[in-house]
Amino acid sequence: MSVNPVSRARLFGSAAIVIATSAAIIAAFLSVGPSGLIWAAIIGSIAIGYAILSFILHPRYPDAADAAWDEQNSQAHRDSIVFGYWAVLAMFLVFLTLSLTSRIDPAVAFYWLGPVLGAVPPAHYLFSIARGRAE
Amino acid sequence: MNTKLIVHLRAHRKRARLTQAELASAVGVSRKTINTIENGVFTPSTILALTLAEELECSVHDLFELPNDPD
Repeated sequence: MSVNPVSRARLFGSAAIVIATSAAIIAAFLSVGPSGLIWAAIIGSIAIGYAILSFILHPRYPDAADAAWDEQNSQAHRDSIVFGYWAVLAMFLVFLTLSLTSRIDPAVAFYWLGPVLGAVPPAHYLFSIARGRAE
Repeated sequence: MNTKLIVHLRAHRKRARLTQAELASAVGVSRKTINTIENGVFTPSTILALTLAEELECSVHDLFELPNDPD
């Protein structure tokens, strides 16, 4: 694991968002646990917490921040955003089809686009870290 | 273009008696980036290649080579 505090915060922040979102999706499918609104608040709190931590760490460790956002990590981050865009587009088309064929409520479909939008880029970034292409 | 570079960075780094972390710190990138460049996984930008060459006091051609480079 990286000793860079900015990279480490990004790793834990991304992992926390992915784990919380995965837990929310599993809980929704099993119809257990808190309501969707509570899950949204949990995921949102984690994301905002990570953003605040990142906001504090960047000016405190400027050299570490530069290294954490070097060209390889920036490329991995860009790739994750691009992948997230296509994932959301794909999910939108799936949900649109399900909505038009009355298999899912449009409001529910819209709700589920949020987790995809929020969790897929960090999940892709974690995958890049696991492949040794980012830190 | 999908040419895989031949990389001599590791040899030059060791000649300079630097660890990956030390070289990374000197040029302002992560240790992982130095590691992936040395393993040919990541191709650095021109700016980073020049910075590495400057840090290791050699030319970019000493660090990187095209597969069919006659030199």
